[in-house]
Amino acid sequence: MGTIGQDIRFGVRMLAKHRLTTVVCVAALALGIGANTAMFSLAEAFLLHPVPLENANRIVALVYSPVGANGTSFGQDQSPVAPATYLDWKKEAHSFDEITAYAWDELNLTGNPAPQKVQAFKVSANFFETVQVQPQLGRMFLAEEEEPGKDQEIILGHALWEQRYASDPHVVGKNIKVGGKSFTIVGVMAKGFDFPKPAEAWIPLSFDAKERLQRDSRWLFVLGRLKPGVPFTLGAAEMQSIAQRQTEAYPDTNKGFRLYPRPLEEFATGDLTRQYTFLLLGAVGFVLLIACADVANVQFARVTGRQKELAVRTAMGASRSRIIRQLLIESILLSLAGAAFGLVIAQWWVYLILNHMPPEVARFIAGWNTISLDANAFLFTLAIAVASGIVSGIAPSWLHSDTQISETLKESGRGASTGPSRHRLRSVLVVAEIALALVLLVGAGLLVKGFRALIVVHENYHPESVLTLTLSLPEDQYRQKPGRAAFYAQTLERLAAIPRIQSAALATYVPYANGGGAGVTPFTIEGRAPEERGEAISSIVETVSPNYFRLMNIGLRGGRELNESDADATVPVADISRLVATRYFPGENPIGRKIKIGKVDSEGAWMTIVGIVDDIHYTWINKQELPTIYRSYRQAPPFYGSLILRAEGNPITFVPAVRSAVAAVDPDLPLFDVLPFDKVITDSIVGLAYVAAMMAILGLIALVLASVGIYGVMSYSVGERTHEIGVRMAMGATSKDVLRLILRNGMSLTIVGMAIGLPLALGFAYLLSSLLFGVKAADPFAFLGLPLLLAGVATVACYLPARRAVRLDPLAALRYE
Amino acid sequence: MEPLIQMRNLEKVYEAGGSKFYVLRRISLDIQPGEFVTFMGPSGAGKSTLLSIIGMLDGSWTGEYYFNGEPVHRLNVKKRNELHKANIGFVFQSYHLIDNLTVFENLEIPLSYKNVPHKERVSLVCDILDRFNIVGKKDLFPNQLSGGQQQLVGVARAVIQSPKLILADEPTGNLHSAQGEEIMELFRKLNEAGTSIIQVTHSERNAAYSHRVIQLKDGWVVSETSNAARVV
Repeated sequence: MGTIGQDIRFGVRMLAKHRLTTVVCVAALALGIGANTAMFSLAEAFLLHPVPLENANRIVALVYSPVGANGTSFGQDQSPVAPATYLDWKKEAHSFDEITAYAWDELNLTGNPAPQKVQAFKVSANFFETVQVQPQLGRMFLAEEEEPGKDQEIILGHALWEQRYASDPHVVGKNIKVGGKSFTIVGVMAKGFDFPKPAEAWIPLSFDAKERLQRDSRWLFVLGRLKPGVPFTLGAAEMQSIAQRQTEAYPDTNKGFRLYPRPLEEFATGDLTRQYTFLLLGAVGFVLLIACADVANVQFARVTGRQKELAVRTAMGASRSRIIRQLLIESILLSLAGAAFGLVIAQWWVYLILNHMPPEVARFIAGWNTISLDANAFLFTLAIAVASGIVSGIAPSWLHSDTQISETLKESGRGASTGPSRHRLRSVLVVAEIALALVLLVGAGLLVKGFRALIVVHENYHPESVLTLTLSLPEDQYRQKPGRAAFYAQTLERLAAIPRIQSAALATYVPYANGGGAGVTPFTIEGRAPEERGEAISSIVETVSPNYFRLMNIGLRGGRELNESDADATVPVADISRLVATRYFPGENPIGRKIKIGKVDSEGAWMTIVGIVDDIHYTWINKQELPTIYRSYRQAPPFYGSLILRAEGNPITFVPAVRSAVAAVDPDLPLFDVLPFDKVITDSIVGLAYVAAMMAILGLIALVLASVGIYGVMSYSVGERTHEIGVRMAMGATSKDVLRLILRNGMSLTIVGMAIGLPLALGFAYLLSSLLFGVKAADPFAFLGLPLLLAGVATVACYLPARRAVRLDPLAALRYE
Repeated sequence: MEPLIQMRNLEKVYEAGGSKFYVLRRISLDIQPGEFVTFMGPSGAGKSTLLSIIGMLDGSWTGEYYFNGEPVHRLNVKKRNELHKANIGFVFQSYHLIDNLTVFENLEIPLSYKNVPHKERVSLVCDILDRFNIVGKKDLFPNQLSGGQQQLVGVARAVIQSPKLILADEPTGNLHSAQGEEIMELFRKLNEAGTSIIQVTHSERNAAYSHRVIQLKDGWVVSETSNAARVV
């Protein structure tokens, strides 16, 4: 231990002596380690603790994934389950202690204080028991509360209890108005519990007799808690076999979907977040490797300059392992210093990440609240610091043993000459740095381009002058279709009458709102049997007011738009998007054909297709547009919809007038998600913006570190070849010859690095292009512009030492040792 | 008495471009415990190489070499290092003190490589500082010392681990005559106290301190003479 202390003391002294190189190394490592620590904090939150449950690792999400006829997945890959399927599972599954279900719901809290919309979930009575969480006040739901008519109880989330009920300790037992109905508060959950995210309240999930038999209406998310000792694989296998039996028993409804059991943590985080988290973890790993290569190169130079000292140590009895230990300790000290500054940088990254995420987006992200530099992040930092120290120090230390001790100690020895193996390894490090930097740069470039492509797509909407707001009509009050249609007609009329409002429209799904959560629904084409039973013919089904298309600049491609005369008493009609036309009516004119939402025997009316409109994007997650069917709001008035207003000027200034106009029709109706459309769009792509911005920063860091690496190696090479350059100049070499000599050396390393990096970058680009809309793998900017940028920076990094070589005094160079 | 060093047909050769270049040829010699031996000869004769081989810093040679009865030619690197660490101290022409260590720390270095406990190291260093009259210099760095003082520390460093053998390569080569004489006197005293010494030198004056002078030329031992006029 005492000798380690001695090594540490000496290491600190050596680092202090070579201040400039120490600062460069510490800065490089701080950038690399800082980025890794920050990313670890994100990954820890998203991948390890995405849900606030102690037993999360025992809970399995039982979701469906739609599959095409050829077995490939499409659309959203985590589809809900129909009630009858869920009830079957509860009876048949043996691997689980509990199987429970929940469904998204939104509640209008009316009465005092002002109306408020809250994000609620309908949950089975055993939901809280399944996730093993107790309310802070009151009780959980009772089994009998799953019966229709006995289900008017509510459990409040802690934040809602604090904010709306002033943390009233006697709130349990009180009645409140929910969508016009009286609900009894039976419990309040503990602080921090908002599962399923972002729950503000929970109400009982009940099924009427009809719902209990539903197999094609999927709206439940099902969770199962594994029995003690039952592994996930066993539970999943049992459920797969049950699902297989169900598919055979109910092919009409179940074929085309595949059960996809997932650990709850994976389900909560979602595939995309996981993919991007792994992408960024990989990217920061690359940056750290580049930083380590930089430091290794510096260490090579240092060790070479210390050959005599190391030879003396050997002569004094130091074993090879002691010499390696000494050098590794110095290297680890360097990376620990880097880690100390890295923690500051990580804190800054985390601050930026947390503070630039809109709260209305953050509340939906599983694990977001737990992002912080916690004890695990410190341990991780320590571990990667030690690992970086070893990675960057091992090769220089190891190669020291190549040194001929007796030669080095000889008085006439040239001393600090380096062996070919060392030269080779340093060159390999630079080549690796260039290759890694190129991969990162190309990845960053493609992500930034993909992000820009999304922005360009949105420009068509002119979102800066559009206001969106959402409302949910209480079922009891608006049970009848004419009442709902009348409400919307009156509201739209009042909104359009507001001065400087150009038009007002209704749509069930605003593109990009709510994470682009427009689900696809199966539909049937009259006169056509599906090619294969159970094959999914599906589309987004929108209900819109006629002026929606013009307000959103959605072009008409054939037939006519919906109009105000398409009312309840007239023939049901629909417009379809171009994709519906090309995908489901290839080679024929769909105008005049009839379609129906659901199966051929479902209750809905046959709708005649009257027009074809342009495709639009609902979410950036999907690379392609999704097929969309548009119904008239007068023929199929929804309970839930969004009002969209085109205004002259800043749309947010119209909010008071809009609230008054809606209140004039229904004073108890809360409006929520009142946002300018450009904010809706930026919120929806904020995750991608984060990834693109982080990748851009990492790409920039990689570029800087790689250029520092080339500069370091070339600078050292010039120092080492000073005598040779002197001889060449004495033999008649001109400045140009010397410049060419040095540049050729550096640029050949750059070219080899780029030659290795380009195919890797191409593979990476294909991976990214499969993930993102607007990203093309063979992108000229990424594969021409960015390599040129890298080559340019590398040229400058080579030129600076080369210029120093040119300016050498030949006589001084000849005397140089 | 068993020789401290026994060499039989020891050869060292460099191979370059397909041809062999002999640095040492068929070296056979015995050095007794307590003996003070000088290697002399022109530059390139192989003196320093032979010293490195004796000091076990160079392991690429052929022939037989016994140190204190141990067959060095049969030992692996680890065992050879152990033998060297336990028995041999080095003194160099350019002192080769470590620039970034104080005098105290330079003296501590060989002990730490022998895993001597901290307390004992401090005690041994204090003893040697006292013995060499350099207590006042213990916190200075080598560049704050004169050449003579540096070499004094160099010798102290070689002696601190009580080696059986001290190998000195041109120990006074960088010193002026008075300082050189001081160092040689130190060697003489160490030798009288029982430490064997082998030095490489071009100086007849230094050679006069040894019992025996071995002349090398082109890698061969060309003569061995006992030193009748040894400085005593």
